[in-house]
Amino acid sequence: MRGQTTFARWWQSPAGTTAAVILLAIALVLSLILAVSFGTTRLPVGQVYTIIRQELFHLLTGTPLPADSAAGTAVHDVVWLIRLPRLVLAAAVGTCLSLCGVAMQAIVKNPLADPYILGVSSGANLGVTLAVLLGVGTALGGNYVGLMAFAGALGISFAVVALANVGGRASSVKLLLAGSALSAVCGAGTQFLLYLRNADRAAGEILRWTMGSLAAANWPNNGLMLGVAVLGTVFFLTQCRTINLMLLGDETAVTLGTDLHRYRIAYLIVSSLMVGFAVYSAGAIGFVGLVVPHVVRLLFGTDHRRLVPLCALSGAVFLVWADVLCRTILPGNEIPIGILTSLLGAPVFLYLMVRRKYGFGGGDA
Amino acid sequence: MKITVQQLEKSLGGRLILQNVTLDIPENKTLGILGPNGSGKSTLLRCICRVLQPEGGAILLDGQPLQRYSVRQSARQMAVVAQHNTYNFDFTVRDFVLMGRSPHKRAFERDNARDYEIAAQSLTQVGLAGYGDRSFASLSGGEQQRVILARALAQQTPCLLLDEPTNHLDIRYQLQLMELVHGLGRTVIAAVHDLNIAAMYCDTLAVMQAGRIVATGTPKEILTPELIQQVYGVHARVLQDENGVPYILFRPGCGTITK
Repeated sequence: MRGQTTFARWWQSPAGTTAAVILLAIALVLSLILAVSFGTTRLPVGQVYTIIRQELFHLLTGTPLPADSAAGTAVHDVVWLIRLPRLVLAAAVGTCLSLCGVAMQAIVKNPLADPYILGVSSGANLGVTLAVLLGVGTALGGNYVGLMAFAGALGISFAVVALANVGGRASSVKLLLAGSALSAVCGAGTQFLLYLRNADRAAGEILRWTMGSLAAANWPNNGLMLGVAVLGTVFFLTQCRTINLMLLGDETAVTLGTDLHRYRIAYLIVSSLMVGFAVYSAGAIGFVGLVVPHVVRLLFGTDHRRLVPLCALSGAVFLVWADVLCRTILPGNEIPIGILTSLLGAPVFLYLMVRRKYGFGGGDA
Repeated sequence: MKITVQQLEKSLGGRLILQNVTLDIPENKTLGILGPNGSGKSTLLRCICRVLQPEGGAILLDGQPLQRYSVRQSARQMAVVAQHNTYNFDFTVRDFVLMGRSPHKRAFERDNARDYEIAAQSLTQVGLAGYGDRSFASLSGGEQQRVILARALAQQTPCLLLDEPTNHLDIRYQLQLMELVHGLGRTVIAAVHDLNIAAMYCDTLAVMQAGRIVATGTPKEILTPELIQQVYGVHARVLQDENGVPYILFRPGCGTITK
């Protein structure tokens, strides 16, 4: 027992955290390669590795692919054009969602917050409904449904921030209230449209957005999503100290030399952008943003200097394996990833909660 | 560092809580603020530490209005031990105390060996050496209060503001805490309820009633049966020990509401 606590303490020390970050980064790379080999047909890991290495080398240095490359073969296309893009998207979306979960939990000072707490998913749904049913946004081009989801997600976040700032500074409680009110309005709007039009097609499309899917992954969009994930991570890495103070509340933070107001607004905008892009690329994948921060917090403590890097990496690893499972659990059929993240995440979360007597800091809970 | 409060006005929820409060805070001394519940003690402290914005008057740090300082700068001058809070999230005691170093740090700067040393020292000062790895939430109310004091000490400010700091403490730690802060030789402003604690550890007292300062002076001058009767509406006997420190005695029935 004693040994176990010493071990747990070591993980929470700066050296332990560095070790965990390195291990997780290695795990992420290995996961990506291994995960590509899983699917309807199993591919040999060695071959997968060679194809990815050659393509990356080609991409980064601009030198032509070696003569013996598998380019053009079916295996190559499955690896490089079908499976890897989804997994890279999974990793980027996983990072964004778990980081935004961390940020939202701090912004509203509530451990039950997730990236969608301020109504992002209902905003996205309304955007999709408007696009599919009424053709709003067709002028935006081929991917107008996705763009409308993005607009809905971002629109509602900014509306929440604006509303919470009316009549005094936005407090955690005002944000939560504005979020749930606007969320209800968007939900009602979506249902009203569906009811009026009695449209099955739109209902199916909306369901797809609420359950999330990585099927539409492609390299150009992945580049964008990876950029968002990396920039978001770097941004929050520079903010760890302030995020810690956020959990102590505005009054304590002022006496410790930080006025949280503008930070809160900045984090909301950055999070909204990250979640907006994640929703645009993969729909509203649930539970990742709630469960990953809590699991990491359980194992490594609340200090955000550990939490931010570890959540960014574990969110990515988690979603990569979730995607593998969705593709392989039912042969010849793909389960929407949002269903899987909840099925997978909830039991793990409950187990940890019961085993470790995790009380969200409630102490005796 | 010299703190001056000039004609401070503050209302909350449409009620005037502070009216024309003017107070010279003696440097490197312990000032106790007395007064019944709702007399404005906390509000005054919260204005000084910038949690509340006063509507009128001014608070001067070394002759400069407080608003001229950034919150970071003022947090290097004043640390606060507020009435005990509960948090939704848990930190280790060490991380919690290290947050006291925030006003001395740039956003991305890491805590260095010196910060850890200061945190450990502060914990030792409040009698919680070796508690660094414990979780804050698992501590008793009194221990949490002392951790918050340790955080304030880690801020290494010339001034400490204490808002009923001994609320959650048993008598031993009440005495220890006051002894410790008094012994720091820094400027201390403390809202105190216990008149005997105030008599023992405060160099000066300011008495508030209905948002105004009604008396200032040494404990001996202030703690008289007349003033206690006037401010708190309580009959008390005041004795003095051999050093002239007032000692206030209450007896059953002396708190009876008089018409």
